[in-house]
Amino acid sequence: MSRRVVRWILALAPRSFQDRYGDELLSTLEARSSGPRGLRSGLREVAGAAWLVIRLHLRREHRLSEAGGARGAWIAAAWQDGRYAVRMLRRNAGFSTAVIAVLALGIGATSAIFSAANAYLFRPLPFADPERLVTVFETNPEFGWVDQTAAPANLLDWREQVEAFADVSGYTEFTDELAALREGQPVIVTGTEVLGNFFSTLGVPAALGRTFRMEETWLGEDDVVVLSHDLWVDHFGADPDVIGRRFEFANHAPEIVGVMPPGFTFPDRDIQLWYPMGFDPAAATDLSFRRAHWVRAFARLESDVSHAEADAQLQVVVRRLQEEYPATNAVMGAGIMPMRDFLTQDARTSLGILLGAGAFLLLLACTNVANLLLVRASERAREVTLRCVLGASRPRMVRQMLIESAVLAAVGGVVGLALGWLAVRAVSATAPMGIDGATSVSLDWRVALFTLGAAALSGLVCGTAPALRAGRDGTDGLLSDGARGSTAGRAGLRAAAALVSVQVALAVLLVVGAGLMARTFWLLQRVDPGFRTDGVLAVQFALQAPRYGSRDDVLGFYDRFAEALEARPGVERVGTVARLPLDGRSWSSQFIAEGWPPDRVGIEILHRRADPAYFEALDIPLLSGRMFEPGDRLGPQPLGASPGRGVVLVNETFAREYFPGEDPIGRRITYDRAPGPRSIWYEIIGIVGDQQQESLARPALPEVFENRDQDWGRNNWIVVRGAGDAADLIEPVRSVLGELDPLIPIARIRPLETVRTESMVGERSILLLLSAFGLAALLLATVGIYGVTSRAARRRTQEIGIRMALGARGKDVERLMLARGLAAVAVGLAAGLAASLIATRALSSLLYGVEPTDPVTLGAVVALLGSVAWLACWVPVRRATTADPLAALRSE
Amino acid sequence: MVTPLTYEILLALADAPRHGYGIIKEIEVRAGADSAPSTGALYLALQRMESEGLIEESRRRPAASEDRRRRYWSITARGRETAKAESERLAALVAAARRKDLLAGDMA
Repeated sequence: MSRRVVRWILALAPRSFQDRYGDELLSTLEARSSGPRGLRSGLREVAGAAWLVIRLHLRREHRLSEAGGARGAWIAAAWQDGRYAVRMLRRNAGFSTAVIAVLALGIGATSAIFSAANAYLFRPLPFADPERLVTVFETNPEFGWVDQTAAPANLLDWREQVEAFADVSGYTEFTDELAALREGQPVIVTGTEVLGNFFSTLGVPAALGRTFRMEETWLGEDDVVVLSHDLWVDHFGADPDVIGRRFEFANHAPEIVGVMPPGFTFPDRDIQLWYPMGFDPAAATDLSFRRAHWVRAFARLESDVSHAEADAQLQVVVRRLQEEYPATNAVMGAGIMPMRDFLTQDARTSLGILLGAGAFLLLLACTNVANLLLVRASERAREVTLRCVLGASRPRMVRQMLIESAVLAAVGGVVGLALGWLAVRAVSATAPMGIDGATSVSLDWRVALFTLGAAALSGLVCGTAPALRAGRDGTDGLLSDGARGSTAGRAGLRAAAALVSVQVALAVLLVVGAGLMARTFWLLQRVDPGFRTDGVLAVQFALQAPRYGSRDDVLGFYDRFAEALEARPGVERVGTVARLPLDGRSWSSQFIAEGWPPDRVGIEILHRRADPAYFEALDIPLLSGRMFEPGDRLGPQPLGASPGRGVVLVNETFAREYFPGEDPIGRRITYDRAPGPRSIWYEIIGIVGDQQQESLARPALPEVFENRDQDWGRNNWIVVRGAGDAADLIEPVRSVLGELDPLIPIARIRPLETVRTESMVGERSILLLLSAFGLAALLLATVGIYGVTSRAARRRTQEIGIRMALGARGKDVERLMLARGLAAVAVGLAAGLAASLIATRALSSLLYGVEPTDPVTLGAVVALLGSVAWLACWVPVRRATTADPLAALRSE
Repeated sequence: MVTPLTYEILLALADAPRHGYGIIKEIEVRAGADSAPSTGALYLALQRMESEGLIEESRRRPAASEDRRRRYWSITARGRETAKAESERLAALVAAARRKDLLAGDMA
């Protein structure tokens, strides 16, 4: 890992060195780092490389300066200043370390956030002509859909009829965990369904073999599959003759037609294989082909077509489809947006916030360094004056100070880069996703450039004020006075007080942001999702055809598994459900109830299938009516057949929203908006408690539970409740599965508590980063306040001594001094609060249960910062007032 | 007088030409892994020593099984003289230390 950092640093070495030694150096570095190396040796290599580059440049400058000439003289002077600066900074190791640490913190945080922003927001997608790729989404004002997946029939019509689209393709946003055998062992491979023109529309060719053809989208064509580079390596040992062979997984053994290049895993970073959607040509005219919206569509624009033109053409086709297919398309709209914007839209808000917070932190770090440099400048006023008297010119003195801060900034920049590189790994592990398969976060040359720019700017900003002061002090020439009591000294104190105010204000902003996220997180954790999570393990396994081809094979296996597992000690209940709550995936549809007026329809209701044990395992109460019973095993019936056979449970919200003041039990519903003789009707037999489906921050939506035994399916989760810890259930689950069928691989297994925690991962990563920023801000502000107050106290030691000698009480003097220090803090607090009232609005979409202007959070932040500031003021003041008055008087 | 790292490198090259990694291995074997310089420090020293004429690039090329990027470094006559002078200086120091009973091994 350190190798890459060293490589970047080496790129900064003089060209002559790189040409002669660069290659061998890297070869040695690689040889050394191939063994087991710790973090310490990695850091040592980084530091060694940074030192190498700095020394080489110094050596070269030195040689140039000896070459002579006007330029030579200038370089000679700069060289001298540089050496002098390094000497001064080394002599004040504590001060230098503080400045470098502060700068590195600001630069590291900012460059990490910038890396993430760069990866998600600015870097082009890794496809051919990515700016011509657009996501095509469907809209439906009635259902509140704004960027919905497309119905396959609509997608194919766009492809035919919109001339501005060179091609339209699509993929599913769901991944499948599939069972396969590798050397006789069951393994899980992750795949996804795509249209035949998926790869050609993206413009990414296969590395080996070919990609799909459009006609392979349909059933009846040859069964084909494309492998990812990683799967090809893992499963086939990178055998180049793999093309044409069969790959057995799940239900079939398709022919391998191609292998993708390394790194290509779109649309999800876990994807290992792609297979065609397999649309049934016989069903292409079915209502469902135009009613179910499940394909994420995208198009490639013709090269001479603008987005506006393409959209206009699309709208014409949309209107045509509305007239042609009123049953499904009456209110369906469609639109396009650049593909990258679509893929990054979820990440944009949080990245924007973090980018802002990072910038504030960098600003805070710069102010802090400026403050430290100011303090130093006044302490060095004598030295400066002396040098001026001895003949140093003003510009030379200014340059001297600037070079010192430049050296500090350079070192801070290098250390910051290393820090940023560490932080990037943290960010990329938690960043909000959606664009996984298309790009990844890494520290690249743009970030390195940004970091160096930030460092240079910091050096300039931080160096200027003290440098100008150094120049001015030079003309005073009052050696006897030094800095103390001079007007310049007082001006310096005022400037320092102003900087303290700025620091406190910035710290308030950052800590308020962190505080609001902390409140959100805390409130989310206390939300009762409507089901128990402790002691529950969720497991999903892939049942492989042909052995599990029929309904009885599949359900029979689930029943045998549940029975065997429940017989184990420590296992209480084993249930089946199609999807876990809070897992973020759900299907929705519309429905109508028997006896409703023709224009009434229920929209966006969620579906799941479950068995009675699911509700028992998760402690979900049956509020009224009855549970599914073995007699409900028969398939759902058309209307007119013996009633009560097709049965469903509904949740509380469903009952409240669609049957207010009525008893929904016994009512019948269907998912067809215009029911016909073939429509399936379900009788509502019971009401169960609400469970939150999508996230803890969203209340439960209306939901219908189908009977697992009626509407059976192959993909289910098994939920296992035990008497103790959920982790203790993993072993029994594995052993029972192994006994029943050792060839079934476990696709996913995790405690339900983890599912719940993972549903908050977005909030948590922002909270963590903002907290880190807030903490750093608090620390920086404290250091700043302490530095300024202690300096003021030192400057006033004599004054204090006189006051005390004249009879002032320590307490009064203390109060006077404190008031002066805290005035600057109070100004900062007020400014920070005012600014945060505006700035935290950006956070509001991420907050839950708390307003951006939450008085409790704001109050807590003011109290926290106020007390920390008070402490930072009080300690140096106390020290000054408790000093021996005589010693204080004598002090110069 | 030369820096300890310069001396270590001269010592490593005294019997045979070595590449950078070879020099580090030699130092590690002789003085322990903690005594080896960072890669950056090693090449900083190599560059300086080459410009001072203490070492030069050897004609030896990496074997087929080796990393092609490697270069072999060998000690020059001047480098050998420097190493000798430094060794003698150190030997004199050690002798002085021995006379003053500072060398634990000599007590027996």
